[in-house]
Amino acid sequence: MIDVDDLVYEYPSARALDGVSLKVVPQTITALVGPNGAGKTTLLRCLAALEAPYAGHVLIDGLDTAGAPREIHARLGYLPDFYGLYDELSVRRSLLYAARAHGIAPAAAGAAAEKAAARVGLADRMETAAGQLSRGLRQRLAIAQTIVHEPRVLLLDEPAAGLDPQARRDLSALLVALKDGGMTLVVSSHILAELEDYCSEMIIIEGGRIVGGKAVKVRDVERPRYLVEIATARSDLKDFLTARAGLDVIECDQHHALFTFTRNASVRAKLIRDLIAAGFEVSSFGESTKALEDAYFAQVRQP
Amino acid sequence: MNPEFQRNLWLELAPRRMILMVALLALAFLAAALSGGKDYGIAGGAEWLFYAIVVVWGTRNAATAVVGEIRDRTWDMQLLSSIAPGAMMWGKLFGATIYNWFGGAICLGVLLSDTFVHKGAPQAAIDLVFYIAIGIISQAAAFLASLVAVRRRQSHSRLDVFVYQVVGLIAGVAVYSIWSIADPAGSILTHKPASDFVIWWGRSFDTRGFLLVSLAIFTAWTIVGCYREMRLELKMRNGPLVWLAFLVFIGVYVAGFDAWLSNDKSVAGWDAVSLRLALAATLYAGLTYLMVILEPKDRVHYRWLGSQLSSARLGAFLGGLQAWMTAYAATVLCSAALLVWLHLNRPQSLEQSAVIAAALGFLTRDVSLFVFMRSSPRRRRGDLAALGILVGLYVLAPAIVNGLGLENLLMLFYPKPSAPLWMGLLVAWAEGLTMAVLALSRASIRNNPAGRSQPSPAS
Repeated sequence: MIDVDDLVYEYPSARALDGVSLKVVPQTITALVGPNGAGKTTLLRCLAALEAPYAGHVLIDGLDTAGAPREIHARLGYLPDFYGLYDELSVRRSLLYAARAHGIAPAAAGAAAEKAAARVGLADRMETAAGQLSRGLRQRLAIAQTIVHEPRVLLLDEPAAGLDPQARRDLSALLVALKDGGMTLVVSSHILAELEDYCSEMIIIEGGRIVGGKAVKVRDVERPRYLVEIATARSDLKDFLTARAGLDVIECDQHHALFTFTRNASVRAKLIRDLIAAGFEVSSFGESTKALEDAYFAQVRQP
Repeated sequence: MNPEFQRNLWLELAPRRMILMVALLALAFLAAALSGGKDYGIAGGAEWLFYAIVVVWGTRNAATAVVGEIRDRTWDMQLLSSIAPGAMMWGKLFGATIYNWFGGAICLGVLLSDTFVHKGAPQAAIDLVFYIAIGIISQAAAFLASLVAVRRRQSHSRLDVFVYQVVGLIAGVAVYSIWSIADPAGSILTHKPASDFVIWWGRSFDTRGFLLVSLAIFTAWTIVGCYREMRLELKMRNGPLVWLAFLVFIGVYVAGFDAWLSNDKSVAGWDAVSLRLALAATLYAGLTYLMVILEPKDRVHYRWLGSQLSSARLGAFLGGLQAWMTAYAATVLCSAALLVWLHLNRPQSLEQSAVIAAALGFLTRDVSLFVFMRSSPRRRRGDLAALGILVGLYVLAPAIVNGLGLENLLMLFYPKPSAPLWMGLLVAWAEGLTMAVLALSRASIRNNPAGRSQPSPAS
């Protein structure tokens, strides 16, 4: 869906991207991570055909950003880290404008606006002026404007910045729903914990270059990583788990095991029952939330 | 309806604002009526209110149409829309000023009713065209100035917006002044006598008709300029043909006024062809200065241009040429044609020819200076510094040299006859080429990822 080849971008005073190449497969959520000033925002703007590269190519859905920027604009949504809203317009008019500006016919714009508002939980505030919304609700409205035309690619720059925990959780659920609906998402952040809930791939950028040279698969969303902890040491824990169909052990000692397994709740429940039935004193069982962080540090430590 | 225009209608034409405008204008007309028409009467008041609302206030709103979006961080969303550049351009130009046109339409209704009653329908129709044109051209000029500035920088202070507005006001005043020259009642601003005809390319034209057509054409060119700048903002590429067409048009248009120079002593004895070439070359030189000041001088772009040329991608190279570059080329071409023509038809004009050739050298020096000053990685106010240096070169240094009685050294600063003639020519081109080499060297400096700069292997 996104194919970047040897991308170079320069500001008058600095080279911001230096030979970036990457691929993003369709219907995934890719984290774009790196320290402040690494080039994340510049890369996103190049992907959005908002900046013309000095050298190299960016293909979005098969279209070159240099040759067909407007066609690409019609196919993607981009939410910058600092965005504005028309404070005097109501939510309905903001979304109607966004829909019409993205080429949706007047007759269909109303329905598109309603659908986008419903997706972000703003359906009951359609007549509220954007300027009267709280920060979290403004963020939702901004995302709704970005997705109102059902883009194939969605680029989000620090989307959770400044959101409270509940709003972040809602955002995670929304992004996963958009991915399940067929969108390809790239989400930039320098806070890894923010991305743990929904990203399956990761691109690490530092000093304008991709660390490791390519996107890293951090987890399979259908087969998350789980961590089980048992109270009493058992040397046969690894053998027991390895013998289970569909379970792949990543790390194991006598007290803990990290493994990938299906997301299916009833199958997981059966695994817990089997562990207890086999005499393992299970003190905790849950999804590992450090996959992204582990992958990040594994990559950046490489020479 | 154009979505950008629709959005502006939602924001600008709220019922409360419309009622306020109607009420205020009604009060103003009432005040004018009660004053007994001692000054200008209702019609005169309506005319000045039209200028205040449509030209003065309208240029302000046109100047902030895009700058305001950038300031409010909504511009990225608009750039990513599917709105075509033409629709975005007129949606903003007329949308951002729709409230001004609403008030202006009320003023025009009052004003033209009076004209219709006292001067008849034809005069009312001519006035209608004039008032609409002066409104559009001044707003479009302010809008165009803001679009050109947007490509140079992203932050815009209130002072910057005021400068863009002033550009529109200058355009409006220019239109008003030129129109007034042809006013049978005489000009209010200039108090010059009216002229009934204009001589252009040796033929006589009715002044008002000529000006009306000229006004319409220049309005169209201004709109075309806005459209092309909007295309660039929307990340589309512009070919060089439209700018070249404008250069040809403006060269031909200005060259037609050779009769105006017939009494000028500095070109006494020159034939019409020489005068026309001189007019066109002077205009192109002026455009070169204007565009090199206005356009962004980005050394990354210049390096990119160099790479396109070296890899023989001529289409991309020509498409990436900036307006000042083609204007400079037009100046050189026209001046060369003038020099050849003078050499063949007026060999006794050797001194004038030397001055013309020296002027080209100084033009090269000056545009290179702008590129040099702006190509520094850290130089944010390079244009201002370059302008300061030019003031020093053209005003301060000559004044000092003159004061010291060293008039022979004036040829170091600007085109001036010298003895021997070749000396002035040599000095001008030595300065021009030195500055050009310096500018090219600085523009070819590469950035490394850490932000430090290093010389290109090619440089």
